[in-house]
Amino acid sequence: MNSKTIRVLSVLLALVLLVAFVPGCAKKTDTGTGTSDGTTPPKSTVKAAMVTDVGGLGDKSFNDGAYSGLQRAEKELGVEIKVLESKEITDYESNIDQLATAGFSPIFAVGFLMTDTVSKMATAFPDTQFGGVDEFFDPVPANVVGLNFKEEEGSYLAGVVAGLATKDSFDSKLNSDNVIGFVGGMDIPLIQKFEAGFIAGAKSVNPDVKVISLYAGNFTDQAKGKELGYSLIEQKADVIYAAAGQVGLGTVEACKDKGALFIGVDVDQYETVANSGDVMLTSMIKRVDNAVFETIKAVVDGSFPGGTIKVFGLAEEGVGLAPYHDFESKVPQAIKDAVEKARTDIIAGTITVPTAP
Amino acid sequence: MLADIITPDLFASALRMATPLALAAIGGTICERSGVVNIALEGIMLCGAFAGVAVTLAVGNAWLGVLAAVLAGVVIAAIHAFTSINLRSDQVVSGTAINILALGLTGFLMEILYGHPGTTEAVTTIKPIFRFASERGGGGFVAEVWHWVNTILFSHTPIVYMAIIIAIAMQWAMYNTRWGLHLRALGEHPRAVDTVGVSVLKGRWIAVLISGALAGLAGANLTLEQVGSFTENMTNGRGFIALAANIFGRWTPVGSYGASLLFGFADALQIKLQIFRGEINIPPQFFLMLPYILTVIVLAGVVGRSVGPAAVGKPYEKG
Repeated sequence: MNSKTIRVLSVLLALVLLVAFVPGCAKKTDTGTGTSDGTTPPKSTVKAAMVTDVGGLGDKSFNDGAYSGLQRAEKELGVEIKVLESKEITDYESNIDQLATAGFSPIFAVGFLMTDTVSKMATAFPDTQFGGVDEFFDPVPANVVGLNFKEEEGSYLAGVVAGLATKDSFDSKLNSDNVIGFVGGMDIPLIQKFEAGFIAGAKSVNPDVKVISLYAGNFTDQAKGKELGYSLIEQKADVIYAAAGQVGLGTVEACKDKGALFIGVDVDQYETVANSGDVMLTSMIKRVDNAVFETIKAVVDGSFPGGTIKVFGLAEEGVGLAPYHDFESKVPQAIKDAVEKARTDIIAGTITVPTAP
Repeated sequence: MLADIITPDLFASALRMATPLALAAIGGTICERSGVVNIALEGIMLCGAFAGVAVTLAVGNAWLGVLAAVLAGVVIAAIHAFTSINLRSDQVVSGTAINILALGLTGFLMEILYGHPGTTEAVTTIKPIFRFASERGGGGFVAEVWHWVNTILFSHTPIVYMAIIIAIAMQWAMYNTRWGLHLRALGEHPRAVDTVGVSVLKGRWIAVLISGALAGLAGANLTLEQVGSFTENMTNGRGFIALAANIFGRWTPVGSYGASLLFGFADALQIKLQIFRGEINIPPQFFLMLPYILTVIVLAGVVGRSVGPAAVGKPYEKG
C-alpha cells in the first residue's frame, strides 16, 4: 500500500469508528424537573441510573421494561434518572464507571451478562448501590441487590393456557391434534426455566399433550425463528410459546402465515408487535419495571435491601400473564379459571414449578 | 420418525434459507471473477435489509423497498470498489471496514429515524406468488404428490424464484457473452484485458456494483419476504457462509446456488432433527452445529484444493 492509500483508508476507518460510537454515547438523559401534566413532582436527592444490555432501549423487552420503571420513579418519587446504552459487551464497565463517578446510586445493570462487571464495580465503588436485573451473585456484595424472576412460574400459566387451548376449538387456528410448541433462543439455564415451566403447566392440565421444543442458537435471527415456527406448525403445533428475544418475532410471522396461536414473552407483545392481534393469545410478562421501581423506592425510603437476592414470582407480581386482548371473549371461562387456580396454587405453595426440563 | 423429518417443508425450507445465501454467493462469484475479493457481502446484505424496511415503512410499498435495498447494496459496494480498485488498498481490509461500518451505520440510522436501536416496526411482507390449495395426507396418491410439488415448488415468494433465474442467467452470461469472457479474463490476467483495449477499472467496477446489488437483494429477501422487520445484525453471518458457498461452488453462479442449497438444506434438516431431541436426548447445540460442521467438511474434504481466479485480491496497476 502506498502512503496515499493509507491516508485515505485511515480517514475511512475514523469515519467508521465515529459512526459506530455516536449512538453509544448519545444523550438519553432525563432530569427530574417536572412532569408533562404540569404538576410538581415530589423532590428527592436520589439519582437513579441504568445501563442497558447490548439490546439497548427499543428492544421492546426487558431494557425498555427497566426504563419504564425508572420513568415511573422519576414521576412518582421525583428522582433524577439517566440511561446509558451498551453497544458492546466491553461498554458495560465504562458505562457503570461513568455513572458511579457522576454520583448516581442506585445503578441498575440490566442483563445476566453484566453479572461479573457488577461484582467488580461494586468493590470499586463501595458507596454506590447496584441493582442487577437477571443477575445472581454468590455471595451478594453488601451494596448490591440481585433482581431475579421466577420465569418458570409465569411460563407455567402460559403452559396451562396452551395445554387447554390446543384441546379446545375456540379459534379456527386450533386443530384437533394435541401438540404445542416452544421456541427458545439459546439453550442456557435462564431459557430452560421458561421451557420447564411451560411444559409443566401444559402437562398439568393435559397430561397427553406433546410439547416440541426447538432452539434457534441465538436471540436475533428472525428468519430462523420463522423457520422454527413453520416446522412446529408442520408438526401440528397450534399454540407456540417463544422465549427467544427477536427470534420470536419471526415465529409470530410463521403463526400469521400458517395459522397458529402465539404466546409472547417478557412484555405484553400484543402492544409491541404490530398487526399481531389475530395470533397473540397472551404474553408471559416479566415486571422488570416493578422490580426497578420497588428498588428505587426502597433507596428513597432508606431501606435498600443490599446483600440480598430479591426474587419476583407470581406472589410478588413479578411475573404473570398479559390480557388476552382480541381473544378475551373467545377464551372459555374454564381456561381462565384453570389459570387462576394454578396461580393461587403456586402462590400457596401447593404446586412447585421445575426450573429445568 | 423419518416421515416427520423428510417432509415437503424440509425441502421448501431449504430453498427459503438458501435464497439469501445464494444471492450473496453469486454476487461474491462475479466480484471475485473480476479479481476483487468481497468479504463485505455481510455488511452490504445488512444495509440492504435495513434500506428495504426503512423505505417500505416510509412509502408503504414493499417493491420500492426491494429497489431501495438493491440501490443501497450498490452504494455500499461502490465504497468497496473505490477503495480496492481506484485506491488499490487491501481488499480484505476494505471489506472488513465496510462490515463494521454497516453494523454501526444501521444502528445509527435506527436511532436517528426511529429514536431507538433494536428492532424496527413491522411491514407487511411480500406474499408468495402462487397460493394453490393442497393438504398433507388429504387422501389419495395424486393429492399427496400434488401437496409435495405445491409445497416445494409453488409456495415461495418472488425473490426465491428470482434467485434461481439469476443463477442460471449469470451462468449463461459468464460463459456465452463478451461481458462474461472479459469478466473471467479480468480475474485471471487483467493485463491481457488491458492490452486488447478493455478498461480493467471499468470492468471491475461493474462487477463489484453487481455483487452489491445482489447482496442488497439478499437483504431484501430477509426483511421484506421472510420476517417483515429489521433487527440489528440480523444477517447473522450469512454473508460469510455465502463466501464459503462461492468457493464450494468453484466460482460459478450455478455452483454457488447449489452450494447455498446444500447449506440451506443442512440448516433445515437440523431444525427437523431437533424435533426428536427429547426422544434421543441430545443437546440442541449439537444440531445447531451441523450446518457449520458441514461447511468445514465440504471445504476441507470434498472441495479439496480449489483454485480461485489467479489475479483475485491483486490491485491492478496500469503499467
